[in-house]
Amino acid sequence: MKRIIIDREKCDGCLNCNVACISAHQEGSNFYTVNLQGVDSETRNFIKFDSKTGYTPIFCRHCDEPECVLSCMSGALEKDPETGHVQYDETKCAACFMCVMNCPYGVLKPDTRTRTKLIKCDFCEDKKDGPSCVAACPKKAIEVKEVSL
Amino acid sequence: MNSNFSCKTCASADQKLETFISNLSQETSHHRVEGQSVKCGFGLQGICCRLCSNGPCRITPNGPKGVCGATADTIVARNFLRAVAAGSGCYIHIVENTALLLKKTAANKGLLKGKRALKKLSEIFEIKDADEYICAEKIADAVLADLYKPDYVKMELVEKMAYKPRFDRWKELGILPGGAKSEVFAGVVKTSTNLNSDPVNMYLHCLKLGISTGLYGLTLTNLLNDVILGEPSIRLAPVGLRVIDPDYINIMITGHQHSIFAYLQDRLIESDVIAKANAVGAKGFKLVGCTCVGQDLQLRGEHYQEIFNGHAGNNFTSEAILATGAIDAVLSEFNCSLPGIEPICDELKIKQICLDDVAKKANAELKPFVFEERAVQSDEIIDEIIDAYTARRGDIVLNMMPEHGNDDTLTGVSEGSLKDFLGGTWKPLIDLIVSGDIKGIAGVVGCSSLTAGGHDVLTVGLVKELIAKDILVLSAGCSSGGLENVGLMSPSAASLAGPKLRAVCESLGIPPVLNFGPCLAIGRLELVATELAEAIGVDLPQLPLVLSAPQWLEEQALADGAFGLALGLPLHLGLPPFVTGSPVAVQVFTQDMLNLTGGQLIIDDNAKTAAATLNEIIEKKRRELNI
Ligand code: SF4
Ligand code: SF4
Ligand code: SF4
Ligand code: SF4
Repeated sequence: MKRIIIDREKCDGCLNCNVACISAHQEGSNFYTVNLQGVDSETRNFIKFDSKTGYTPIFCRHCDEPECVLSCMSGALEKDPETGHVQYDETKCAACFMCVMNCPYGVLKPDTRTRTKLIKCDFCEDKKDGPSCVAACPKKAIEVKEVSL
Repeated sequence: MNSNFSCKTCASADQKLETFISNLSQETSHHRVEGQSVKCGFGLQGICCRLCSNGPCRITPNGPKGVCGATADTIVARNFLRAVAAGSGCYIHIVENTALLLKKTAANKGLLKGKRALKKLSEIFEIKDADEYICAEKIADAVLADLYKPDYVKMELVEKMAYKPRFDRWKELGILPGGAKSEVFAGVVKTSTNLNSDPVNMYLHCLKLGISTGLYGLTLTNLLNDVILGEPSIRLAPVGLRVIDPDYINIMITGHQHSIFAYLQDRLIESDVIAKANAVGAKGFKLVGCTCVGQDLQLRGEHYQEIFNGHAGNNFTSEAILATGAIDAVLSEFNCSLPGIEPICDELKIKQICLDDVAKKANAELKPFVFEERAVQSDEIIDEIIDAYTARRGDIVLNMMPEHGNDDTLTGVSEGSLKDFLGGTWKPLIDLIVSGDIKGIAGVVGCSSLTAGGHDVLTVGLVKELIAKDILVLSAGCSSGGLENVGLMSPSAASLAGPKLRAVCESLGIPPVLNFGPCLAIGRLELVATELAEAIGVDLPQLPLVLSAPQWLEEQALADGAFGLALGLPLHLGLPPFVTGSPVAVQVFTQDMLNLTGGQLIIDDNAKTAAATLNEIIEKKRRELNI
C-alpha cells in the first residue's frame, strides 16, 4: 500500500505542495493558470512553521486506524481495504465535522465557501502520476512509499 | 571530470544534436533540465515578491496580499517591468557600444564597409554632409545624444525612425520614450518597494521601453553595424557542428556586439598572423559562430568568407560545440555566454577571454575592448590563443560531428538584400500576398530554450505548421540557429510547405523560412513590415503579419516582445512570461492591448493549436483588407 512519507527536515516551506494540491482540485488548471486567490482555492495539505522546529508538512496519513473514520457516524469517510486510502463521500456527509475534531494531525477542515463539505486529501486517486504534491516538491520532503501493514 | 549528473538529456528538435549531447562525458544544460524539472508555482505565476525584508511574500489563499498590501496585480507588474527594464538595458548597452565604435571608427578614418547603410541613415537622420566620415560621426552622435537624454526629454530619432501611423498612436498613448538609458532607470525606480502600485502605469512603461529597445537597441544597432561591417547579402552557407575544421585554430564567438570583432576578424587573416598559426602546425585561424554574434557574422558572411567558417549553433548548442574539443578559445562580449561553458573550458583547456566586463565570466580573463588599443589587444589575444592551441591540442581527444547540420542554408537575408532579390521593389512580394500564394508572414523570433518540449522543439514544430499553411516565415534570433541546423532554411525545405508557398519557393529557389540572423534583426523585420505597410498604405496592425517568440528565454526577449506589442502586432509566446497570477495582466495583454496599440498576446505551448490561432488571425486580417 502506498503512503506519503514526510521527511520534515527536508522541507523548505516553499508551499509548492499547496499549489499542486489546489491545482489538482481545480478542473483543467496547471501551475500557470491555477487560481490561488478564489474562495474555492483550498489546499488539502498544510505547512506549519515554528521558529524553533522550522517547517512541518501536515499531510493526511491515511492512518491504519483512522480516527476520522471511527468518528464519522454517517459513513462518509471510509478506509478502502485495497489501497488503504481514506476516502470521503460528499453525498453521505452530514457536516457534523466530528472528523475535524478527531484527526490527530489536524489536517481536516470544512470548505470555506459553504462549510458543508470536508476538505480532505484523496491521494490524487484520479491522477495517473499519483499525488500531485509529491511531484511538485523540489526537496523530496514528501515521497510516496510502499508500506506494509 | 564530473560524473555526478543526470544521464537523461532533454529532447531537441535536432535529433543528431540530441544524440551527440546525450553521449557526451561533459555535463551540459541539456543534462540539467531534468534536475530542475520541478518548478515553483509562485514563480511561474509571477506572484512572489522579495523586494523587502518583510518578504518574500507569496500570494496564497491564506495570504492574498503581501505584508505591505501589494496585490498579485502589483507584484506581477513590478516583476514584469523589472524584467523588461533589464532586457531593455541589455540592448541599449549594445547600441551604445556600437554607436561609440562607429564614432571612433569614423573619427579615425577607419574602414566603413556599408556605404548604402550610411546613405540610408544619413537620409533618415537628415544629415547632408558630403564627407562620409563626417556623416558617420554625426549619425553616431545623434544616436548617443538620444540615449543619454533624461527621461523627461523625448528622443528625437523616434519620429524619424518610426512609421508615421505608429508614431501618432504612441504619442496619443503618451508612450513616446525619453532618453533610453533614463527610461530603464525610471522603470527600475518604479518597481522598487512601496513606489508604483499601478499595474497599468507599469505596463505602459513597458511599452515605452519596448519602443526605445526596438528602434535603438534593435533597428539602429543593425544599421550602425552595417556601416562598420558591411551589409548582408544573400548566399548559401554551411551550418552546424560540421563547420568546425580541426586543422585550424578555432575561436568560438558568443555575444551580440559584432563590431567589437571588426578589427580582430580582419587581422586574423593577415599573412603574419597566418604564419604564426602555421608555425604551430595549424592552417590558420577560423571564427566559429555561436549565439547571436555568430548569426550576425553569418548574415554578413559574404564579406568574411576567409575567416568565418560558419554558424555552428545557438545558445544551447554552445556547450556541444566546445565538447567537440576542436575549439581553442572562446571570445565573449555579451549574452548568451552560458555559465555552463566554464567547466567545459576548464576541462578541455579552452582559453576564455571576455571583451566586455558586463559579460565577465568567473574563470575567464577580462580584456575589455578599447578601440584605441585594438591593434595591441588583438595581437595579445592572438598570442594567448596560439599558446592555448599549443598547450591543448596534443592532449585533447577530438569528438567531431561532421554529419551535423548542412551546407546549403540560405543566409544573409535583410530588409535590403531581400528587396534587392525581389528586383528592388516589394511589389512581387505584395502581389504574392494579395494573390494568396503567400497567405501571410510570421516573424518567428527570439531565443532558444530547453522548455516547451525541449531544445527548439516548439520553434521547429510551429514553423513546420506555419509553412504548411502557406505562411512565409522570417526568423531572427537563436531560433534561427535551431531552424537552420534542422534544414528548414535550405531550399529543399520547400517540400514541407503548403502547395502554394512551395511553388513560390521552388520557382525562386528559396526556402520557406528566411534567415534574418540575430535577435537584433527583429529590427530588420520591423523595417520590412513598415516598408510593406507603407507600400500598401495601411498601418502595421492591419498587415497579415504575426510575431511569435515560441521559446523566448530571457529578459531581452521580453523587451523585444514589448516592442512587438507597441508595433500593434499579434505576439505568440510558448510559455507565459510569469504574469498569469495577475488577472489585470492577463486582461491587459490578451484583451486591452488590442484597443491600445492593436497588439495582442497569445500563449500556447502546442505547435498545432498555436499555428491554427495565428493562421486564423492572418485570415481575418486578409478579409479585412479584402484580399
Ligand atoms: S484525516 Fe486524519 S485521521 Fe483521517 S486518515 Fe487522514 S490523518 Fe488519519
Ligand atoms: S495527494 Fe493529492 S489530494 Fe492529497 S495532499 Fe497531495 S495533492 Fe492534495
Ligand atoms: S513542496 Fe515540499 S519543501 Fe515545499 S512546502 Fe511542501 S513539503 Fe515542504
Ligand atoms: S514589498 Fe510588499 S509584497 Fe514585497 S516582500 Fe515586501 S512586504 Fe512583501
